[in-house]
Amino acid sequence: MHISEGILSPAILTGGAALTAIGVGIGLKKIDYEEIPNIGILTSGFFVASLIHIPIGPASVHLVLNGMLGLILGWKAFPAILVGLALQALLFQFGGITTLGINTLNMALPAVICYYLFGWGIKKSSGRLIFIITAFASGCCAVLFAGILVGFSLYLNGDAFLPAAKLLVAAHLPVMLIEGVLTATCALFLRKVRPEFLESYYG
Amino acid sequence: MGDFKLRPVFLFSLIILVILFDMPAFAHKVSIFAWVEGDTVYTQSKFSKGKRVKNSSVIVFDSDGNKLLEGKTDDKGEFSFKIAKQTALKVVLKASMGHMAEWKIPFEEINPEAVSNNSKPESDIKDSYETSSRSQTINSGTDLSVLSESHGISKQEIKKLIDESLDRKLSPIMNMLTDSYGGGPGLTEIIGGIGYIFGLVGVAMYFYKPQKKKSQ
Repeated sequence: MHISEGILSPAILTGGAALTAIGVGIGLKKIDYEEIPNIGILTSGFFVASLIHIPIGPASVHLVLNGMLGLILGWKAFPAILVGLALQALLFQFGGITTLGINTLNMALPAVICYYLFGWGIKKSSGRLIFIITAFASGCCAVLFAGILVGFSLYLNGDAFLPAAKLLVAAHLPVMLIEGVLTATCALFLRKVRPEFLESYYG
Repeated sequence: MGDFKLRPVFLFSLIILVILFDMPAFAHKVSIFAWVEGDTVYTQSKFSKGKRVKNSSVIVFDSDGNKLLEGKTDDKGEFSFKIAKQTALKVVLKASMGHMAEWKIPFEEINPEAVSNNSKPESDIKDSYETSSRSQTINSGTDLSVLSESHGISKQEIKKLIDESLDRKLSPIMNMLTDSYGGGPGLTEIIGGIGYIFGLVGVAMYFYKPQKKKSQ
């Protein structure tokens, strides 16, 4: 999911950075004082998730966890993912500083989309089955959308869209399933043990 | 503040999760390592922590950015080519899914002789035993190649022999270097990164400006 430095043209990089800046701005505005530690914990979760390597499938891929961040944080996933990616670029050399904008966009936008698509299911009032299905779908689809967006970024750069996107999605199929299960498990865990973690965001 | 009790539990479970998966190979960073042996450049490409990059294109550029040649890595992530042009080289690896890495080979590595013997005319180095003996009859016979000629072996031949044996002796060290290059992040980086995030949380809380609460 991390696009390396030197692949994309400056126009795409600036475009991605500008859109990311807007997203981060919206996210920062929505942050309340009490939420800051929660966001920090989810950011560190996102930061280490990329180290969890999944050896199944055609390529070597890792967890992304953007679905979980999106589901719990909504727009606030933008600043969280930006910080996580910046540290991954600096400490692990995943991606890079110049591609930070486009990479954040590619991972955070699906998170926000999933928040709007599936966030309604993560409520105290919703049934257990609905809850599990929406959480699973969120974890799953966030990775799927991110793969499509990365494919689209490469397409803008001149690669053929369908082969690139197909390869990305195919490589991330196991990740999608694992993230779906993981997101559902974590959401269930939070609902049981600390409902206010979810409640504060969905009222 | 019962909230605080659960946060360490949540974080701890994440760390346990990481350890459970045991991280045998970190993905999503590619690296290429290139070195010169004789007149051939060898390259090895891998994802971070060892997994080889198979069947990806390697493109070689000269110092002016002109494309010289292109090839594919084999099953071991290796690709080698003969040096066709005496110039500094840039080897670029393009793996799938938007991954790229590059390695620069300076001119000194491609042709050490040309750099160390810059002051001398080219013919002094290139001359072999026969040609230098012929040139002796024409020349006044005071240069180095003539001196070495008196021992029955030319300077260039000595150099070649030394280079060959050095390449042989150094190959295990080169292998060690290629293995160590491009390793994945260690525990220091992981813990450090989490520390950074917690520090940022502190900074954010310190500088937080209270806003008008939205009515939910």
